[in-house]
Amino acid sequence: MPAPRRARAPLACGLAATAVAAGLALAPLAAVSGPLREALAWLAGLGLLLAAGAALRLPSLLAPALSVLLAEYAVVLVRRGDRIDAAAPLVGAGLLLYAELASWAREARPQVRDDRPVLEARAVVLAATTMAALGLGAVILLAADLPAGGSLTRLAIGVVATICTLTLVTLVARRTSTRARG
Amino acid sequence: MTRRPSAKIAAYIGVAALALLAGLALGRPELVAAAAPLAVLVVAGLAGAHDPELRAEVTVDRERALVGDELTVQVALRAVTPVDRLEVLLVVPPGMEGPGGTGRTWALAVRLAAGEERTVTVRLTCRRWGAYWLGDAHLRAHDRFRLFTWEGHLDRHAAVKVFPVPEALRALVHPFETQVSTGSHVSGQRGDGIEFADLRPFLPGDRPRSINWRATARRGALMVNQRHPERTTDIVLFLDSFLDVRGSTGSTLDLAVGAAASLASAYLGQRDRVGLVSFGGFVQWLQPGGGQTALYRLLDTLMETQVFATAAWKGIRHLPPRTLPAKALIVALTPLVDERGVAALFDLLARGYDLAVVDISPLTHAGGATGDWGELAHRLWALERETLRHRYQRLGATVIEWTDERHLQQVLLEVEACRRRGGLAPR
Repeated sequence: MPAPRRARAPLACGLAATAVAAGLALAPLAAVSGPLREALAWLAGLGLLLAAGAALRLPSLLAPALSVLLAEYAVVLVRRGDRIDAAAPLVGAGLLLYAELASWAREARPQVRDDRPVLEARAVVLAATTMAALGLGAVILLAADLPAGGSLTRLAIGVVATICTLTLVTLVARRTSTRARG
Repeated sequence: MTRRPSAKIAAYIGVAALALLAGLALGRPELVAAAAPLAVLVVAGLAGAHDPELRAEVTVDRERALVGDELTVQVALRAVTPVDRLEVLLVVPPGMEGPGGTGRTWALAVRLAAGEERTVTVRLTCRRWGAYWLGDAHLRAHDRFRLFTWEGHLDRHAAVKVFPVPEALRALVHPFETQVSTGSHVSGQRGDGIEFADLRPFLPGDRPRSINWRATARRGALMVNQRHPERTTDIVLFLDSFLDVRGSTGSTLDLAVGAAASLASAYLGQRDRVGLVSFGGFVQWLQPGGGQTALYRLLDTLMETQVFATAAWKGIRHLPPRTLPAKALIVALTPLVDERGVAALFDLLARGYDLAVVDISPLTHAGGATGDWGELAHRLWALERETLRHRYQRLGATVIEWTDERHLQQVLLEVEACRRRGGLAPR
């Protein structure tokens, strides 16, 4: 019987998640200058703090951390003008990677020794979802760049997508309530 | 199994909805591209999540073990549907040690394909005597995207009794009086036996082989030898379980139970009958019996001994009369801490029982005294205990203090020596 794994896995996952979050928080700073950069640095600091907290100790901070990182990116996008940022799929994949790593850190309890196939499967799923996120982001950007339809059509698509998402939120909130089975 | 959603579902969906609204308001498809993967992952996870179907069974390789032995607990798992991650958490009861050390739980996460069978083996080391329930296991299954967990509990308990390792005792405390059946203790009575007792004049009916020819020649009349017959004895082990003084080196109850098991094994090996009175908040007793059956019954009862806190007064009048037979030797194993246990011993002496008290010193287990007041209290406690021992000795009991550094055999030898000197302790 091999000796049980110690608390290294949660720490490693937490640190990896924090590193990804640091990349997401610091990258937008390079795109701005002047007083906005200083303000954005504060936002990046807050985002990083929340992200580290969510990854290492307080899982309830995951949503605020993602929101702040996304808000930071939105500020850069607003300053950017009409040009589409081709790095958006990377940001999307990075956010997902961070969130999944933070979730892994919480899942990997120090008392539980994971079998190697469990770790391998988790790593494979993580890599696949990250790659899929990258592809999905690229597809969305390509779709947004298509000449078909005017701004009104795009607005309609956006409104429909938002309504669908909000409906999904409601459905999920209803379905994910705790219930006993068997 | 109970299904629980992960907190990240709400987080992902909430952030995705926020980003979509922001993208719509700001007219930025990049925000949609950044947040869409979160929403898609949740949708994919919800679509793929299904309740796992598992069969699990816990077995233990044996029902009885000795302290220091290793037990093998096997958790047999069979997945009807695939489980991406299944945590098996086995509760390690206090007194046992799992592979990871002294933790209260041992856990392993495995992955099971559909129809796959897997047996998780855990070795537990028995560190303390007692009756245990093993097989308390918790299962927690996760889906592929870790959006849901399913939790279940296995309560298919297996009873295991862990006995203390009996010490080899060469000498035991001998009773003053014996019973009528043949055994291995030299009786004080006269009869057929091996040990020479006395001479007396020949009477009609005496066997010729009993005639002592030398004495007959000296006295000029037929003289016959009288001998001491070998008889059995009844031993009652009186265990004071009102209080347990526990320290880093052990506890008084652990010592008492270990000593009782050793004494029972040794006395039963001499074909004596041994009974048990576990006298505490929860009173248990066994009438004296002999043989292997009695030993197992006695050990089983001993393993269930525990401190049961109660303020109710208990006296020996609560015991059935047959539990304490006449002419029995009562060996009391007590820390002399609880007033009810102390009073019960006085009561036994007043009723004329042959009593030997092994006073298991709680002073060492209680820890060292700190400060002037602590030292003073410690000394007063020691004096109080010594006074109590003298009171027992004045009433005819033999009382020997068993401190940590002494072996049970030494204590028994000292008890026997004191009894031979007329029941007076050396102190």
